Amino acid sequence: MAIDESLLQNAGMDWPIVLRVYQWERPTLSIGHFQKIEDRERVPNLRDLPWVRRKTGGGAIVHDQELTYSILIPKRDNQPTKGHNESLYRAIHGAFADSLRTLGWNAQLSETCTNKTTIGKNQEPFLCFSRRTPVDVVVGDDKILGSAQRRSSACLLQHGSFLLRRSQSTLELFGLLDASKGTTPGHRIGEMSMVPEKELGGFKNNDAPYLGDGSSAESSNRELDGWIDFFVASIKQGVSQLLPVHWYNGKLGDLFSDAKDHRVTRVYG
Amino acid sequence: MSITPEQLRYCDSHEWAYVADESSGIATVGISAFAVAELTDLVFMALPKIGQTVTAGSEFGEVESVKAVSPMYSPVSGTVVDIHSALVEKLESLSVDPYNEGWIMKVRMSDPSELNRLLDWDAYQKQCGHS
Repeated sequence: MAIDESLLQNAGMDWPIVLRVYQWERPTLSIGHFQKIEDRERVPNLRDLPWVRRKTGGGAIVHDQELTYSILIPKRDNQPTKGHNESLYRAIHGAFADSLRTLGWNAQLSETCTNKTTIGKNQEPFLCFSRRTPVDVVVGDDKILGSAQRRSSACLLQHGSFLLRRSQSTLELFGLLDASKGTTPGHRIGEMSMVPEKELGGFKNNDAPYLGDGSSAESSNRELDGWIDFFVASIKQGVSQLLPVHWYNGKLGDLFSDAKDHRVTRVYG
Repeated sequence: MSITPEQLRYCDSHEWAYVADESSGIATVGISAFAVAELTDLVFMALPKIGQTVTAGSEFGEVESVKAVSPMYSPVSGTVVDIHSALVEKLESLSVDPYNEGWIMKVRMSDPSELNRLLDWDAYQKQCGHS
């Protein structure tokens, strides 16, 4: 995430679009740009987590059983300089929900919102996945993908988190794999977050993630790789609906020396 | 007397500047109704500090709306001599009256000629597609 901040600081309008998908070495709390770290006391089990402050807005995220993405889009002429880019939210989140539906999950955009000026700052839930904006991706009652943005004079940065499974730090928040396909509100698989055996067969192909049962490191890694590929493909598909993009695998060091030398700004505090 | 949008000068990035008394050299700064509409629901605003130096075209503060943090750019260079601290607790007033109740800071200008580089109301309206 420090690399994302450095990208934001260094990006020029002549840069390519940069998409990154990553996980964290250890469970970590990232708080929105304007959130107070003291407010983590409102939620049990967060106090002992290491934390960082994002440059993007929105609520706090426990980066544990999830995938984080960032996408940096250089500013084009005539693009707005203020506020959120809803079309980017809708394109990425919509493509992700569409892809999940092809796999059998009842994923859709929330189309509800808890984030209103009139609600009051301290009445908003502290955690991103406890909040709702119209473009969040939900399965049943559970939000599984949320994103937030930041503008600069040269670009737009969007961060997001895809919640795979619930974290021990946030037991009230369920991820995609805690739900069954075709789920209705309140219908979750349970604490073990196992996928029913009968549902595994349909996923063992090259087009969709393989859902292991989590019983071995090999199957867990294979499962995770599948979801990373699926997530990246969904994001690319969404962005490509908005902008003419030719994707290729690049190195951050080709863009700026900070990434090459790992001399990126720390974002703690 | 109320400030009207026709009296103001605007940045491309939707901040405005107003000089009530040229001899004072002080410009009042805010963001336009168009910007407020783009931002939708405002939840946080970070103001500059009194005494802070600001530069025309550079960031002087930030505003968070629905899941987006956006910078605010100063239309003029100079020193911040006053900030509207109460605004942070009543951001909804920006939607009602961005040109009076919604003022953000006052700047003692170091180069008042910078005002001439800003857009007048007609040019700003065209930029916003309201011509």
